This record gives sequence, C-alpha cells and structure tokens, in this order.
Amino acid sequence: MNTDKIIADIKIFIEKNLLSSDIKIDESTDLKQAGIDSFSTVEIILFIERKFGVSIPDEKLLPENFKTISSLSKIVLEQLAQ
Amino acid sequence: MQFFDNTIFPKKVFLTGADCFHLVLDKHAQKNKIGGNVMRKAFYFKENLCKEEVLTILNKSAILYWLCNIEFVPGFLLRKPYWKFLDKSQQIELTIHNEIEIKKIPQSILNRDITINAKKYIEADIVYYNNNTCAFVLSWNHILLDASGTILLVEHINQIINNEKIVTSNFFPTKEPKTNIYKYIKNMYEVKSFVQKSSKAPVSSVYKICQNPTKETKTQIINFNISDTVLINENALKCGARFGPTLFFIAVCMHTINEVQKQRNCESDIWLPVPYDARLAGAKAPIITNNVSFLFYRITQKELGNIAQTIAQLNKQMVHQIKIGMPKKYNIFLNMMRHIPLWLYYFLISKTGEGTFASFLYSSTGSKFEGLQFLFKKEIEDILMIPALTFPPGLTFVFLNNAQKCSINISYATDIIAPHEFHFIENKLKELLLTKNL
Repeated sequence: MNTDKIIADIKIFIEKNLLSSDIKIDESTDLKQAGIDSFSTVEIILFIERKFGVSIPDEKLLPENFKTISSLSKIVLEQLAQ
Repeated sequence: MQFFDNTIFPKKVFLTGADCFHLVLDKHAQKNKIGGNVMRKAFYFKENLCKEEVLTILNKSAILYWLCNIEFVPGFLLRKPYWKFLDKSQQIELTIHNEIEIKKIPQSILNRDITINAKKYIEADIVYYNNNTCAFVLSWNHILLDASGTILLVEHINQIINNEKIVTSNFFPTKEPKTNIYKYIKNMYEVKSFVQKSSKAPVSSVYKICQNPTKETKTQIINFNISDTVLINENALKCGARFGPTLFFIAVCMHTINEVQKQRNCESDIWLPVPYDARLAGAKAPIITNNVSFLFYRITQKELGNIAQTIAQLNKQMVHQIKIGMPKKYNIFLNMMRHIPLWLYYFLISKTGEGTFASFLYSSTGSKFEGLQFLFKKEIEDILMIPALTFPPGLTFVFLNNAQKCSINISYATDIIAPHEFHFIENKLKELLLTKNL
C-alpha cells in the first residue's frame, strides 16, 4: 500500500460522507478549517481502522495527527509497517 | 407591495424530525408555563448601530421576509406538520431599547415569548447602553432554526451588506429521500430500545418538585480570556479529550452537577442527550429547520471518579454510537415521529427518563462563531447566546467560542437551582476547567 493510494482513499471517504459538496480539499488542507469537527474525526478514524485493518493507538490520537489527510496517511503507513 | 420574487419561496416547508421534537418542547413549555422554546443571540458592539441602516439591511433579506410571512400548519392523521408561506408583506420588526446596566439584556426582551401560536417567529432588537455601546439581539422560536442555522443566517446578512451573491437554494432543506416503512419500523424498535436502556431509572436529575414555584428563570455567563481558553484546551487534551474539548466540557458539567446532587443527597447515574450539528462539514445550508442529531451518555458514580476517567467512558460511548450508526438511526426515528399526533408524541417523550428528559442539558452546537468578526460592518465585541430553557430539568449549559475566548452561558430556573447552588456551580466549573498542573 503506497501513500498516494491511502491519501486517495481517505480523501474519497471524507468528500463522499462528511464534507459539503462545495468544499474542495487536498492532502494538505487543514481539516478543521474545512469544517471537520470532533464527531467527523471519529468517523475518519473508524474508516481508517476498517479500511486499512490498523488500530490507531491512543498515544497517536493527537490533534496534529488529524490536521490534514497527509498527516493521517503517515499514521496509517506507520501502523501498517508495524 | 411586492418585496421579493415569490418564485424563490417554497409554498410549503415540512418540519424536520428535530423541528418536531422542538414542537414537543414548545408544548411542554406552554404546559409548564416556565422556561420556553425561544432562542436569543446578542451581538455586542463597541459603537452604536444606526436603526435605519440595520432595518434597511434586514429588509433586504429574502429569508427574513419568508420567516416573517409563514404560518404553522399542524400535522393531521399521518400528514407531517409544515410551514405555509403566506405573502402577507410582513417585515421584521426592530425594537429599540435603552438600558443603563452595560451588556444587560432588558427584561422586556427576555419576557417576550414566541410560541408556535405567535404572529411572527423571529424578532430583532437593538439595545443602546449609556457608554455608547450597543447590542443587536435576535430572538426566534427554536422550531424554526437551530444554533448553526443562526450562524448561517448571520453570514447571509453579511453577504447582503457586502453585496455578495445570495444563493437562495441554501435557505431551505433539500427534498428528503424516501424511507421504506419496514426500515422505519425496524429502526424505531432499535432506537427505542437503545434510548430506553440508556435512560433507565435510576437517573439523577437537577429537577425537583417545588411547593409554591416562582417560575423565574435566569441566564448567567462565565467568560474566559484567551490565556484561560488556551489552558482549558490544554487540560482537555491532557484529560484524554483527543478529538476536541467537547467531551472535557461535558465531563466537567457532569462532575459539577454530581457534586450538587451529592449535597442534596440524591446522586445517581447521570444521563445526558447531547445534540450535535448533523449538517455536512462546511455546509452553508440549510438555514431553516433544525438539523441536529443526538448522542446519549450515561455515566455511573463509579465513572465519576476523576475527569479523565469520565472522558474515557464518554469517548467509549461516543465511538460505540458512531460505530453502530445511532445518530443517523435516531434522525430517521425523529423523522418517523413526525407522522404521529403531537399529543401522543408528547406523551411518549415525557415518559422518557421518568419525565425529566435529562439530568441537565448541554449544548455546544452554536460554538462555530470563530470566523465571525463583523456584522453591519461593525466589529463584534462579544456574543451571548441565551438558550431555550427546557423545564424540567431546568438547567442548560451552552459552551461558546468567539475570538479565541471560551464562554459558558448558563440558563436555569431559580426554583431548581438555589443561589448558593449556582455560586457553587460557577466556582466548580472554573476550578475544573482551569486546573493547573494536571
């Protein structure tokens, strides 16, 4: 699994399920600024765990790790590598 | 006189499931003659607003015009209740008040009840203070729009001021997808069983039966400065609120109320339905209707040992409910309830939690004012939200965030919270939120 694929999957999930259709995001968009709240963040984490078969440990559940799709993808890659 | 092109207005707008829930609360408030279903938002300015200029801007708003020209049509048999647009050429009223006490909202505004039977469901006021500052106050019946809808409404007013393009399709909800009747019934049993289990007795509630009630209500505000707010957010994270401070706020309120209940010798499990904005992230629509769903939290005495422990439990319950899709299921359930007569809906709801609705009420759905700095081209100094006070339980906490500063607006019935208890609540909230060296 490469970074581009992880980024694309997370982006599709967010756009399709959580974001208003007129909001455009890319891998470096600040998700909080785009309107993603705590509730939506939980939905993203549950999606990641389901889609990539990884479990994000509590110590990785930090605001800086959910800031962008890029930072989320890094966490996924780290967990996949373990 | 023709004010707007009427083709932009739908003749009929059905109430959402959450609107109908507020219809029940409106009935409840009228029955108890205490509290109410009116929301009020005050925007404070460091300089005076000109009444004529404000009125000219408000009268340019098509959505305010629609709001001033509708009539409520109740449901009948299986037909859903709806708002009917009547082009009566009514415009919003803007009333002027003069107040000596700075930032005080005059009692005449607070006493104005806007029920479902009112001629207009939204009203505006300007309060002028002696030091050349003022407040613009909007009051509306909660059945019409929710806290996030108000933010969108204020952004819409700013769009008029800035001559930006107005997207009228943002005003109203889009057509609902049809739901299969079997799915409705299956969903109803699932939600009913979840909520009943979550709210089952014994549940501790601040509500208490009073002899000779005065039926007086009050709203008090606790303001925090920027450095306090930074500390609060740091504390939230340290206590395990990893997805934002909301669960920290809820835990702090639960601990505070549990202490009050201990003083009354009636502590038990805390049960709290918490609304959240169900619009898609970043959505500019719809302005009209309530678009909220709920998460339900039940915290036992054992889980009230310390704040971190409570947050861990709240987090677990939140993740579980999102995993099983309960908020979406609850919305479908609320939508289904629109088809039943109001008296039956009221009967069913008032049975939940032995008629107390909740241990107390909490909301932070209106906290998205971060980006709002100007209104009527004047800098907003402060924002106050006076929530609709549901009685029972008779105590509502509203957490707001404006200009990087957190504030708590607390509405309560004085028959429920005694002066010494309010003093305790205020101090306990501050102590728990601002604890150093966690």
